[in-house]
Amino acid sequence: MTEPFLSIRNLRKTFGSFVAVHDVTIDIPKGEFLTFLGPSGSGKSTTLYAIAGFQDPTSGDVLLEGRSLLSVPSHKRNIGMVFQRYTLFQHLTVAENVAFPLRVRRRPDAEVNRKVAEMLSLVRLEGFGGRYPGALSGGQQQRVALARALAYDPPILLMDEPLSALDKKLREEIQAEIRRIHRETGVTILYVTHDQDEALHLSDRIALFRDGRIAQIGTGEDLYLRPACEFVASFIGNSNFLPAEHLQTTDGAATIRLADGSIVSGVKATQEFGQGQKTRLMVRPEAFRLRPGPATAGLAVEFIDAAFFGERRRVVARTSAGQEIDVRPPSDMANDHDETAQQSGQVFFDPAAAFLFPALQTT
Amino acid sequence: MLLDYDRLGWLRGALLAFTGLVAAFLLLPVVFIVLLSFGSSRWLAFPPPGWTLKWYEELFAEPAWLEAALTSARIATMATVLAVVIGLMASFALVRGKFRGRDAVRGLLLTPMVLPVVVFAIAIYAFFLRIGLGGTTAGFVIAHTVLALPFAIIPISAALEGFDKSIEDAAIVCGASPFEAKLRVTLPSIKIGIFSAAIFAFLASWDEVVVAIFMASPTLQTLPVKIWGSLRQDLSPVIAAASSLLVLLTLSLMIVTALIRRKLST
Ligand SMILES: Nc1ncnc2c1ncn2[C@@H]1O[C@H](COP(=O)(O)OP(=O)(O)O)[C@@H](O)[C@H]1O
Ligand SMILES: [Mg+2]
Repeated sequence: MTEPFLSIRNLRKTFGSFVAVHDVTIDIPKGEFLTFLGPSGSGKSTTLYAIAGFQDPTSGDVLLEGRSLLSVPSHKRNIGMVFQRYTLFQHLTVAENVAFPLRVRRRPDAEVNRKVAEMLSLVRLEGFGGRYPGALSGGQQQRVALARALAYDPPILLMDEPLSALDKKLREEIQAEIRRIHRETGVTILYVTHDQDEALHLSDRIALFRDGRIAQIGTGEDLYLRPACEFVASFIGNSNFLPAEHLQTTDGAATIRLADGSIVSGVKATQEFGQGQKTRLMVRPEAFRLRPGPATAGLAVEFIDAAFFGERRRVVARTSAGQEIDVRPPSDMANDHDETAQQSGQVFFDPAAAFLFPALQTT
Repeated sequence: MLLDYDRLGWLRGALLAFTGLVAAFLLLPVVFIVLLSFGSSRWLAFPPPGWTLKWYEELFAEPAWLEAALTSARIATMATVLAVVIGLMASFALVRGKFRGRDAVRGLLLTPMVLPVVVFAIAIYAFFLRIGLGGTTAGFVIAHTVLALPFAIIPISAALEGFDKSIEDAAIVCGASPFEAKLRVTLPSIKIGIFSAAIFAFLASWDEVVVAIFMASPTLQTLPVKIWGSLRQDLSPVIAAASSLLVLLTLSLMIVTALIRRKLST
């Protein structure tokens, strides 16, 4: 195998007796957009700061093209970074901010001016060069920060929740800009967020963090369609968990008994289970249908609440075991009959779209 | 709010009168001094029988006064530079540092502000005599630096607390060494704090008299010491003239400060 571009090896960081990052290993190919996703406090920033050089890892290594970065001080790592908080230099104009990394590198004036103009046009802020950061909106400030971080053509760009202070509309707008800039520059990006939509929108791959460990790393589809554990399944997208008893598994297709006694075969087993083991079956709300299909399993429910949202219905139903479930079937244009108008009925799902996880996981 | 100015009614008049009285009480003596410095009476009679500039002529005719003023300025400037530089380094340690005894160090550095000046003056006088710094410019400057230090540390620390360290970190990832980042990014961002520190430190030394009396020698006298000494010899209107100039200088310093602060904060 060829040398990965950036490699994080067995990274561990403790603060006193508290372990913030347990054992993180990731290989990142050149040009990838990798997102660290996870709840607050799961060790995303700490991992990022170890790459930037603001945190010395307790153990482990960070390698860029095979060479360890750990002995290189932050200012010599030649890494670009955009922070969560606004970090523009308030006493310098926008152009001077973008020029700053080039000035400290003692680049000639002509090159600095050319690069500043190029960067400001990259982030679509031509004509703002003479303004001071105080006169810019939050979104504009973060775009200047992006221009500043890219001005010296760093091989890696780190971004720590750069959009979390912005409102939703602006956030989506700048996400699109970031995608475009990634495409145009080909820079390798490591992006931290706790917002799954942002992660899915931006990333080539997502590393989902939990308690200082990577729960799963893969494309958005991997995480949504093939979750490795219950945590991933519940963090990415929406999910229902139904208690179930495992009966047997052949070729990864498990047969289970649900709480109402019904037997379902062909669900995806995410690991080996023993006979009679307590498990939980995960079914996504959008995997439910209101009508049976060729190979669907049915679940008897009472309909508690239903609302029509055009593309789909949102239904709250209660199983015969008394568990409330979230059902979001897509609207059927060919059949306008509303089954949820009745008091009770059945909801259906394809067992191949349901996942079996061990029960009693600590969450 | 309990004490809303707009709803005080007749109390508002009383409050205004009281405030006026306090202001008058504080300012009138200064006004009298200034008036007396232009009065023709040798015995500081009030109201003055006539007006004259002769006390100012006498003041400028005597080189000792000018020399005292220059000495004051020289010592205050050196003490200011030292207090600001040391205060800056101390503030970084106190605000950013995480070490045992940090609060104790902070307390120690601020003691000159709460310690009775006379106690400090006697202590440092005895100490300096022993180590041969008594009556020297160096001793004078060191003593005033210690006194001025709290006035430098307080505004600089406050400014540094309000400065987001991420901004300095951003400068460092941009390629600036930690020192360069502080110089080019952090210091300009806390310049108002540094400027206030310089002004307060300068004033703390400029009009300080107690320690100065102990530090002074016949050849090394600051303006407040000279005024104090002259007062004890005779009550001449020349002192009023010297005091008026001192007031004028302090006043102009404060006006310039206000103007510069306004400019810095935009
Ligand atoms: N300097 C520090 N000292 C002590 N604990 C810290 C420090 N930095 C981070 N932590 C802790 O480490 C954990 C991970 O933090 P962080 O990496 O910032 O999480 P995230 O970015 O995923 O929200 C948190 O529980 C946080 O409280
Ligand atoms: Mg974080």
